[in-house]
Amino acid sequence: MVSRSRGPLAFLPRGVLVFLLAASATAPASAAFELPPIGSTTGTEHHAGKVVWADLVTPDLAAAERFYGGLFGWTFQDVHAGKTDYAVALLAGQPVGGLLQRPVPAGEHRQSAWLTFLSVSDVDAARRTALGHGAKSVSDPKTYAGRGRQAVLSDPEGAVFAVLASASGDPPDYLAEPGEWIWSALLARDAGRSAAFYQTLFGYDVFEGPSDDGAEHLVLSSDDYARASVNTLPGGSARRHPHWLNFIRVDDATEAADKAVALGGRILVEPHEDRHGGKSAVIADPAGAPIGLMEWSASQSKVEPK
Amino acid sequence: MTAKTLQRKLGILGLAMLVGASACTVTGVGVGYDGEADYVGGFYEPYGYDYGGWGHGYRVGPPRGGDHGPGPGRGGGHPYRSAPPGRSMPSIPGRPRGR
Repeated sequence: MVSRSRGPLAFLPRGVLVFLLAASATAPASAAFELPPIGSTTGTEHHAGKVVWADLVTPDLAAAERFYGGLFGWTFQDVHAGKTDYAVALLAGQPVGGLLQRPVPAGEHRQSAWLTFLSVSDVDAARRTALGHGAKSVSDPKTYAGRGRQAVLSDPEGAVFAVLASASGDPPDYLAEPGEWIWSALLARDAGRSAAFYQTLFGYDVFEGPSDDGAEHLVLSSDDYARASVNTLPGGSARRHPHWLNFIRVDDATEAADKAVALGGRILVEPHEDRHGGKSAVIADPAGAPIGLMEWSASQSKVEPK
Repeated sequence: MTAKTLQRKLGILGLAMLVGASACTVTGVGVGYDGEADYVGGFYEPYGYDYGGWGHGYRVGPPRGGDHGPGPGRGGGHPYRSAPPGRSMPSIPGRPRGR
């Protein structure tokens, strides 16, 4: 007599089977995480090595929104999917950055921080090059509808950064408005070696800046625009960790620093005259994430691109 | 082992695989940051930035157009390729948005 198999799940009621299959089929859709483009313009142009985005990781998204909204006038577009609580920060309706809520890993004493995103046209190729020159992978490349493809790396000294191939191209080169990112600095143990690493990755031109203090101050440029500086970490620091630091343009760095304190932040570096003639300062938000403030008058810029 | 017992064991195994696959999809295990995230754009740094030592002359801001060194690397002997001599150090973009 030939027995007819009823299948391995035959003992389960049909309703349970339908439920399991439905749950399995709908899980990917519920986990989808879609992000808006990084800019309002659409194009295919990529300015390799340009800082095009920054994401804050913070344990308290609501507190961060209150602080940055109060300080820079940002508004927020919340994005929730799966386990992720994220908000896109907007200035006058234009995206300027992202805020990601994530608990500090249990048992670890970690630093809330802004993650710097540098533009590339090919994330996977840039990642391969970086890994071949001493970088480490922090997270594998991933593509987000609207945003583009991105990956997180740490450079040979351990400074963490991200590369992004924006799906909508990069924003055009214009002078940042108050409340927008205007500058980025990498604080490194060996500025020269770090500059060489990023030059390999992004093809920067490297210029040596004045060194009144004996530290090395290098400027990375692409498309004939200064994109970032690489600076030797100041001497005498007991705890020094290489990292990127991003600056927001403000009208008055002293006023902004005072306002940051009133909103629950603190001052890390007092407002002081910087290379360009305006003042800069470094503050920490209520969760401790450092961020720079920088004054810049329009007359300080090179108006005509070459 | 009877055919009925075998069917039951296979059924339990199949159910376990189905539930396991479903759980992986929901949490993003193996595909995301930290093994759980839907988004890979945030990173807690090692604790303790030290912003001491930003004394006189420690300037990290952008140059104005036309600034020149000399810095310690000028003249070679450094790991990066210097911009050609005679080129002015560029500044940040100066064109206002929308013009």
